[in-house]
Amino acid sequence: MRIRLAVNGRAQDLEVASHALLLDVLRDVLDLKGAKRSCDTQVCGACTVLVDGLAVSACTYLAVEADGRSVLTVEGLADGESLDPLQRAFLDAGAVQCGFCTSGMLLTARALLRENGAPTRDDVLHYLRGSLCRCTGYRKIVDAVLTAAETAR
Amino acid sequence: MSARPLRVVGHPAPRVDGLEKVTGRARYVTDLVLPGMAHAKVLRSPYAHARVTRVDVARARVRPGVFTALSSADLTWCEPYFGPAFRDRPVLAIDVARHEGEPVAAVAAVDEATATEALELIDVDYEPLPSAITLEEALGPGAPLVHTGEPLSGHFADLSTLRPQPGTNVCHRFHFERGDTVTALAGADLVVEDTYRFPPVQHVALEPHAVLAAWDETGALTLWASTQNPYSVRVELAKMFGLPLARIRVIVPHLGGGFGSKTYAKLEPLAAALARAAGRPVRLAASVPEAFQTVRRCAARVGTRVGFRRDGTLVAVECAADYDVGAYADIGPRVVQKATYTATGPYRVPHVKLDARAVYTNTTPGGAFRGFGVPQLAWALESLFDVAADRLDRDPVDLRRQNFLAHGEEFAPGDTPIDGKLEESLGRAAEAIGWTRAGAADRGRGVAAMLKASVAPSVSEAIVRLHTDGSVSVLASAVEMGQGTRTVLAQIAAEVLSVPLARVTVVQPDTAVTPYDQTTSSSRSTAMTGRAVQVAAEDVREQLVRVVAEALGVAARDLALEDGAVVAPARRLTYAEVLVLRFGMSGGELIGRGVIAPGRTAAPLGGSTPFWEMAVGAAEVSVDEETGAVRVERYVSVADVGRAINPLLLEGQDEGGVVQGLGHTLLEEMLYADGHLLNGTLLAYRVPRADDAPPALECRFVENADGSGPFGAKGAGEGSLIPVSPAVANALARLTGVRFRDLPLTPERVWRALRARGR
Amino acid sequence: MLRPFTLHRPDTSEEACALLARLGEDAAVYAGGTELLLLMKLGLLRPRHLVDVKRIRPFDGITDGTHLAIGATVTHRTVERSALVRARCPLVASVARHVANVRVRNVGTVGGNLAFADPHSDLATLFLTLDASVELVSPRGRRELSLADFVRGPWETAREPDELLASVRLVPWPPGTAAAYVKFGVHERPTLGVSVALRLDGTDGDSEGRGGGARVADARVAIGCVNPRPARVPAAEARLTGVAVTELEDVTGAAAEAASADTDPADDLYGSADYKREMVAVFVRRALRIAAARARGAEPAARFPHAVVA
Repeated sequence: MRIRLAVNGRAQDLEVASHALLLDVLRDVLDLKGAKRSCDTQVCGACTVLVDGLAVSACTYLAVEADGRSVLTVEGLADGESLDPLQRAFLDAGAVQCGFCTSGMLLTARALLRENGAPTRDDVLHYLRGSLCRCTGYRKIVDAVLTAAETAR
Repeated sequence: MSARPLRVVGHPAPRVDGLEKVTGRARYVTDLVLPGMAHAKVLRSPYAHARVTRVDVARARVRPGVFTALSSADLTWCEPYFGPAFRDRPVLAIDVARHEGEPVAAVAAVDEATATEALELIDVDYEPLPSAITLEEALGPGAPLVHTGEPLSGHFADLSTLRPQPGTNVCHRFHFERGDTVTALAGADLVVEDTYRFPPVQHVALEPHAVLAAWDETGALTLWASTQNPYSVRVELAKMFGLPLARIRVIVPHLGGGFGSKTYAKLEPLAAALARAAGRPVRLAASVPEAFQTVRRCAARVGTRVGFRRDGTLVAVECAADYDVGAYADIGPRVVQKATYTATGPYRVPHVKLDARAVYTNTTPGGAFRGFGVPQLAWALESLFDVAADRLDRDPVDLRRQNFLAHGEEFAPGDTPIDGKLEESLGRAAEAIGWTRAGAADRGRGVAAMLKASVAPSVSEAIVRLHTDGSVSVLASAVEMGQGTRTVLAQIAAEVLSVPLARVTVVQPDTAVTPYDQTTSSSRSTAMTGRAVQVAAEDVREQLVRVVAEALGVAARDLALEDGAVVAPARRLTYAEVLVLRFGMSGGELIGRGVIAPGRTAAPLGGSTPFWEMAVGAAEVSVDEETGAVRVERYVSVADVGRAINPLLLEGQDEGGVVQGLGHTLLEEMLYADGHLLNGTLLAYRVPRADDAPPALECRFVENADGSGPFGAKGAGEGSLIPVSPAVANALARLTGVRFRDLPLTPERVWRALRARGR
Repeated sequence: MLRPFTLHRPDTSEEACALLARLGEDAAVYAGGTELLLLMKLGLLRPRHLVDVKRIRPFDGITDGTHLAIGATVTHRTVERSALVRARCPLVASVARHVANVRVRNVGTVGGNLAFADPHSDLATLFLTLDASVELVSPRGRRELSLADFVRGPWETAREPDELLASVRLVPWPPGTAAAYVKFGVHERPTLGVSVALRLDGTDGDSEGRGGGARVADARVAIGCVNPRPARVPAAEARLTGVAVTELEDVTGAAAEAASADTDPADDLYGSADYKREMVAVFVRRALRIAAARARGAEPAARFPHAVVA
């Protein structure tokens, strides 16, 4: 099936199988390796990308559903060399360790901040309920999201 | 050289790999693609224990798109067994499958879909056998034997004295004693004893194991592997294929978490065999459920008996521990041995009798996991300490302080003396949790302390290269798995050579390029690999100084390094200029080498620990008595680290260690029924989420520069996890009066115990 | 990784039902895919055809009338943010906010949730207290079933293979109804879900039951997760009917015990039977206390570890 979509602002015209998963199309066809396959069951969030601004589990989302839509991956967060406030905040806070959860965390946080520019800590915890990290213990991640929200305001 | 304040070391330098991680550019094994690469899938035993009477891969082999399909019968061109302690683990099951999930056959095909379909074309006949799933089943009379016959010993010298008990499921026994515990306990004023259980849990690194293996036209093998010790994998493959070590290359890109799950060979032998048979590169990536079938923590049953004098002096400790190492020994025997050696914790104990066994069961192999057997023992000892404190009517903090080993005191003859100040960690933790302040009636506080040795003897080597433009390469094989070792090594080199951090590049671990490092585990990378880097950088510094001293006719001691230049009383030469002096042209480099190899000593385990890891944890908890749900409201971890090379990274690592510890304390347990793992997926296995982290979490460090590592550093990363379960249980006991012996403290378990107590 | 299938995207329910009738067992209904695609990845379902119902216009709206009708392909997120839902039945929006995680809510649908009939479904439990009925369409026409009749057992509904769930209809509570939904559990799916609604007589209550009347005219108590399917508990409801708001505290215990006695749980990953039975009592009591407080115009700051209060 033919799909036409925007990925990180760039138009893409692709032929994909109806059973192709968005995660595999992004990683293997478009060479955008930032989204990761981990639990493969929508629990961990490592595969999170934004479709029309909404966080989805790319591991369980048909590529054909992205037809006519815009997809944002971690590779699209920075504006050239200029990092998104979330990326900057994650780096400054020490919220990155192995990095495998990082792209999912960043995109989920991005969706949160677009929806709510002044989240409370509880709002952040609610949004990140489906984003697992085994390295950081989450504290610096939550702090980074709150810092980025402040910076953006 | 004049002493000057540290410019890079000791500072929260931004991690050197942060940018690539936040922009999605960091590469992990499953991000790598080689031309012609095949994808592998593994057929795994559905039985915990079964004879494998027939494996027929013929139909899979001829399916279009399949490059190779293998069973153990096909592996005639390599050694079929591997394993660091015992070489007891077959690449593919031979005649018998010993755990659910054991690889029985494997396929490499043009894509994953084809490989998966091909698995369905493989016919396997199994004859289920009785299985031993629990320690009780494995040790009981007439227990089904997981292994029969004599396995070869693996590649560790200290385990050449493996002591299996033939005819049983015991694959190793460790015994350690001093003094006379029988008499001492008989004469003690108080003896407390109990049996504690620690569940099987899984590391759940977000990146499951993955390997990309490729043979080249010369018959040399290259692997990109998610491994914490590329050199150990190299040895394993060399033995397997009868190749010289120099013809095997193991490269490690970023790891998406390790925690011990990626130490020692796991899927690398199979990937290499598939690549050889397929005649093309093969990528073998495990799923999360497959990771649950590949390695886990060794569960344990620990019986501990402790004797005290009335004045609170600890006189004797007896400990009998059985560790469930699963179907294959992996590094289980060393876990048992090393952990049991410090079963007495951070205390002075004149009379000691320790016995431990590594026991096979028909379950996922148990291997290394952050803490390396010590969490299991600390769970017992630190819980008992509070029981004793209660009976002696003593404050638990005070009772610990009274019995702590002192700075400089001997732990065991021949081993390194205690190199930290436990009472300082304890004091700071107690202060931070508000130990002496009256607490809320609905909150309880508890503490726990830990002591752990690092692996010894071990070897770390490093090379530092100074280039003609004054930039620096650091070549060392410590693996970056999130803990920040790449950054720490860069900081050390930058500090010694007085260059900005940005001028230092740490080359990815690659056995063809970066020199030998034993393992990235055991909290050792800063102290050992870091020290090797420091020595290598100092070597380069010596060379720089020597060149300038000779050229200018000044004494070496009148020269200093500063901001990328060698500074003499009247001259300043950039490194670039120094190299031109040295080589008489533009070109060349200075190479420095560091070798840290303390060697064997008279210490009981054959080597003296390079440092003692010591830490204290303090928890404040509340409990919803109607449901049994425990909440850790505050947690403080204080670790004695000597020097925090990077305080921000260290704090992050310890915060992670605490929350990972809360996993096995409150949430995590691998559950088996009839030999089947019920919850080997994240849908059913519950790891901590963001809202499980304590709302108040503090990780602090004692820094007395008293370590043998660079700038007085010691190791860290495990000390934050080990005290968590006893600290929480001690807090819960003080709040509810109920003492727990089994983990995890799930709501139901707590509820049941509270009911039994009578509310 | 999924096995290949043909994706059909009918524009009308007639087309969709015709496809289902023709393809039979080889077809699966596909909306958000959060359950279906997962089962396909695990190899538990292997449909060769997926019938995507998201293009069927009448399925994707929320309409008001005597009922509040939520179309089958409306996502949890849409429900959470719908001004109409918040006005007519705010608890539905609050509960939708806590289904699974944000990614599942963005893509997963109400219809998919109800048709999948996971015993742990929050919405199914809640909807039982809203006199929910489902609208089913097939080549034979339309029919309506009460939700209680639609959900037959674990992962089993009354939907015929060629039938589609078109919408769920709720009867919003009248103003002056005090309600609460509480779920409890450590795992991905909750161990227990409790939905209570107390319609109070008297005039001054707002649509959330605050400042309402003096007596419980009608009570709804539904329990989810611990039984093969979510169910109301008439025995508990009887204990509450007719009780003065000021005396509600006195009867919560009896209502909770009745709910607990009515439960028939099994030992499983989510808890053992006796624990679940006890938790039913605990959380019915707690949910009723929250509802009672709301009836008095107060919003209790109730927070319980591993529980979500809506």
